[in-house]
Amino acid sequence: MNSLWTSLEGSTLGTTIASSEWLFPTIETLHVIAIVSVVGAIAVMDLRLLGIASRNRLVTAISRDTLPLTWIAFACAVVTGLLLFVSKATSYMVNPYFLVKMGLLLLAGLNMAAFHMFTWKGVARWDGTIAAIPPAAKLAGLASLVFWSLIVLCGRIIGFTLGIYH
Amino acid sequence: MAIGELLFEMTEWLRTTPLVEFSLWVSDWPLCIWLQSHFFAIPIFQAIHILAIAILFGSTLLLGLRVLGLNATDQSMVDNYRRYQPWIWGGVLALVASGIVLLISEPVRNMVNPIFWMKMGALIVAITVSLWFLGAVRAQAASWDVSPGGQASVRTGAVALIVLWCVVMAGGRWIAYAPV
Repeated sequence: MNSLWTSLEGSTLGTTIASSEWLFPTIETLHVIAIVSVVGAIAVMDLRLLGIASRNRLVTAISRDTLPLTWIAFACAVVTGLLLFVSKATSYMVNPYFLVKMGLLLLAGLNMAAFHMFTWKGVARWDGTIAAIPPAAKLAGLASLVFWSLIVLCGRIIGFTLGIYH
Repeated sequence: MAIGELLFEMTEWLRTTPLVEFSLWVSDWPLCIWLQSHFFAIPIFQAIHILAIAILFGSTLLLGLRVLGLNATDQSMVDNYRRYQPWIWGGVLALVASGIVLLISEPVRNMVNPIFWMKMGALIVAITVSLWFLGAVRAQAASWDVSPGGQASVRTGAVALIVLWCVVMAGGRWIAYAPV
C-alpha cells in the first residue's frame, strides 16, 4: 500500500501540484468553496428534518431545492480533494485527522443512504406536518450536521498537523 | 511574478504603519496568549468561521438561484426571502464574531498582511451589496412572479453576491500564503 501512495505522490500530476507556488493554494480555495456549498445546502435539508427552518415548505420540496446543489458541490469537493491528496499522498495517509475525516465522510454517506432507503419511504405521512416528523428523520438530520461540522474541523486540523507524523 | 512583488511591496508599506505596534500589543492580550497556547483552539474557531460562511453562503446561493429563476420556482418569492434572509444575517454575525477571535489569535500575521486587508475590503463590499440586494428582493417580493419588471439589476446583484462571497473565501484561504 505504501508504495501506492509514494508512486501517486511521484506522479507527474502529484509533483506538478506540489512544486507549483500557486496550484496547491488555488485548488485548496476551490476545495473550501465547494465544501462550504455542500455544508450550506445540506444544512438547509437537515434543519428542515429537525423542524427548525423551512417549516412552511414540504420536506420533499426542500429535498428538491437542495439536492442538485449538494451533488454538484460535492463532486467539486471530491475532485479538488483528490488533487490535493495526490500531491502529498504519503503525508495524508499517516495523518490521523485525515483518516478520521475520511471515516466521518463515510459515516455521513451511510447516514444519508440509510435515511433514503428506510425513513424516506414514509415521507408522504410527514411531508408537510412538523409535528409528524419521525424521530429517525430528526436523528438523521442531527447526525448529518454533527458529521459535517466534524469533517470541517478535521480538515482544518490537517492544515496544522500535515508533516508532523511519519 | 508581478502580483507577488506587488503584495510584497504592500507588506513593506504595512510594516511602516502603526499596525505593527498595535498588532504586537494585541499579541500580549490574555485571549491571544490563551488561543496560541491551546493547540485545538485556532482550528476550532476556524471551523466555526467556515460553518458560519456555509450558512451564509448556502442561504445566499439558494435565494440567489430563486431570484435567477433556477431553483424553487414553485415557492413564492416572499416565502423564499423569509426563509433565507434571517440566516444570511445570522451567518454574517457568526462570521464576524468568529473572525474577530481569529484576528486576535494571530494579530501580526493578519494585520501586517495585504491579503487580509483585501479580504476586509471584499467583505465590506459583500455586506453592502447584501444589504442592497436583500432590500431590493424584499421590496419586489410580493409582485415578483406576477409583474416581472425591473428585475435585471436584482438578478445581476444575485450573481455579483455569489462571486463576491467566493472572493472573500479565496481571501481567507490566501491569508496563509501572503509573501511576507
